[in-house]
Amino acid sequence: MLTPLLSLVVKEFRQTFRDPRMLGLLVVAPLIQLLVLGYAVNLQVEQVPTLLADEDRTPQSRALLQGLTAGDTFVPAGWPGSAAEAAAAVSRGEAPLAVVVPRGHAADLLRGRTAQVQVLVDGGDSNRAIVATNALSAFLQQRALRLAEERLQQEALARGVLLQAPRVRVEPRILYNPTLQSRIYFVPGVGASLLLVVTMIVTAMGMARERESGTLEGILVTPLTPTTLLLGKTLPYAAIGLVDLGLVVAGGAWVFDVPLRGSLLFLFAAGLLYILTLLGLGLLVGSAARTQQQAFFGAFLFVMPALLLSGFVTPVENMPAWLQPLTLLDPVRHFVEVMRGVLLEGASPAELSDRVLALAALSVTVYGSAILILRRRLG
Amino acid sequence: MRALLRRSLAVATKEVRHILRDPQSLAFALGMPVLLIFLFGFAVNFDIDRVPLVIVDQEQTAASRRLVESFSAAGTFAIVARRDDPAAIEPLFRTGVAKAALVLPPGFTRRGLRGEEAVAQLLIDGSDNTSAAVALGYASVVALAASQTSATALLGQVEVPLQARVRTFFNPGLRSAVFLVPGLMVLILVMVAVMLTSLTVAREYERGSMEQLFATPVGRVEVILGKLGPYFVLGLLQVLLVLTLGVVIFDVPVRGSLLLLFGTAALFLLGMLTQGLLISVVTRQQMLASQVAALSTFLPALLLSGFIFPVESMPRLLQALAACLPARYFVHALRAILLRGNGLAEIWVDLLAMGLFFAALFVAAVRRFRRTLD
Repeated sequence: MLTPLLSLVVKEFRQTFRDPRMLGLLVVAPLIQLLVLGYAVNLQVEQVPTLLADEDRTPQSRALLQGLTAGDTFVPAGWPGSAAEAAAAVSRGEAPLAVVVPRGHAADLLRGRTAQVQVLVDGGDSNRAIVATNALSAFLQQRALRLAEERLQQEALARGVLLQAPRVRVEPRILYNPTLQSRIYFVPGVGASLLLVVTMIVTAMGMARERESGTLEGILVTPLTPTTLLLGKTLPYAAIGLVDLGLVVAGGAWVFDVPLRGSLLFLFAAGLLYILTLLGLGLLVGSAARTQQQAFFGAFLFVMPALLLSGFVTPVENMPAWLQPLTLLDPVRHFVEVMRGVLLEGASPAELSDRVLALAALSVTVYGSAILILRRRLG
Repeated sequence: MRALLRRSLAVATKEVRHILRDPQSLAFALGMPVLLIFLFGFAVNFDIDRVPLVIVDQEQTAASRRLVESFSAAGTFAIVARRDDPAAIEPLFRTGVAKAALVLPPGFTRRGLRGEEAVAQLLIDGSDNTSAAVALGYASVVALAASQTSATALLGQVEVPLQARVRTFFNPGLRSAVFLVPGLMVLILVMVAVMLTSLTVAREYERGSMEQLFATPVGRVEVILGKLGPYFVLGLLQVLLVLTLGVVIFDVPVRGSLLLLFGTAALFLLGMLTQGLLISVVTRQQMLASQVAALSTFLPALLLSGFIFPVESMPRLLQALAACLPARYFVHALRAILLRGNGLAEIWVDLLAMGLFFAALFVAAVRRFRRTLD
């Protein structure tokens, strides 16, 4: 069984890489994607163009707006003269955010009344709007707290007593990725999704290609057993997938300083289970398709939902309750968690046992049943 | 001119027959956008709440319980476990049970009573950025609010010194669906449109039917036009499906002109179909074409279009790259038309950019299309 399998693997490699562009695409392109797109991901909202309208024109209002634009979050995008002008500009889409200090702001502050600040947000870009509004209200709350303390001191002085308000502080500490660099978080997800494209779609189309060009019959009349045939059609891609995984981990570590805190061997073992599941799916889709186009479409029909449900784009806990159990059937979800666990958190195999067991179960079921079903059909 | 039209039409007729002969692919082409809009709409949710939180309350006093309560009350966190020892936190992070932990250390209450700063610790699992960023932002707001209440309480009748009145345009509840769905529509159209055409020419090269086409007087422009036509019609059906479903199911407002909406979508569609054709013409091999199509659509459209990550926060080089992607312009134009009710005056730049993209790729596809077999 070994010699025919080996020759089949060699044939598959040759056929795939006959076009040298394929090598570039299966090995080099994923790496370039990872590196280029890694820089794109920036969940931190910075440099939000903000319109600043100062209707009050007092030292207090100027200090407020200056304090606001002192950090990296808000950048002045213009100085409209009134709240109405600012509102018109936001609704034209000129800037996502406007801060208006209305007339009487300083007077209210001096008299001990509640001074108003108006915030105009373009909800059409609400991801940014939410983050920007949160940053803005944190800023205003901090300022309010300082003002309240000043008043407290004045009050205490006036009454001739020493007063101090108890303060509660929550000190955040971020583990594993202390500066919340998006790239570090992103590399595991992109690695898992690139494997999906590179292994599953290629296997599905490889199967369909044999069918389309009629070479499947040619192979079937050789003394190869169907099992050998199926192994031969998938193992080359398992190898390519593992090489890609290595490139992603190495590239991520080298360029983005993605840590490697757990066991590399364990990561590759889990990766192999993941890849086998994908290859089994590719075989099933490819053998059901009559043309390469059908195989491509069919594979995509799996790829997209699998990526969305994996928690790579948004956390699983945030999905509707009825959808969450479905994510347990998604190999991408388990592998993304293994990648994050091993690379970033240094999780041990025991701590990730649920994920690995799920991947093992999926790979045995999917790959195993693909081989069984197809063996019968081909035999 | 008439000959050009006639020959293009002949190629188109052949392509239509081809599409109709394969009803499975046709069903995929129309079913996929429907499936995707449902899945996307439900699975992708940026209103992060229910961040799983562990409580390590080493004090168990009224003051510590009050802080725990203010954390659980707002709905941003969901308490999933209580532990006595801070050492129990990291294993919970590593197994994925929790993503944040609130630690109230011994002495927390006493310091607060003495008028000192009472310090609690919030540990955050940084391996999930989205949840971590939300937890981080919320922690300071809770603490500040708690401090402020105590400061103003001591002052008695004195009012809150500063108050922000937030007015949100176009999306009062800041529902993420309202801004996500237009982006999703773009993402879905990018993928299905490029996929539609990416195999068409490569398939003919592989099967040898291109040879027969070369034997006819049909020219390069006519082949490209003839290939584009039928898929344009099919693509318009997809546009109609995606736009209608997105708007109806997710309750996205349509404030601008419908005509402008479909005109913009049609222009974008032309660009995407031509991108698929160019891939097909250049690769001449279906497997390669499928890989290029998959890799050049999903991740770039997801990450560089401004759909999730604001383009302004990216490095210069990537901003330049994003400027070459029609998806970036379509996301902007679609949000402008749907949510802000903007007209031509606000989105003409987007239309111009999409038009230029289409023209450039069309010319490239025609020029790279060779009437030879090797």
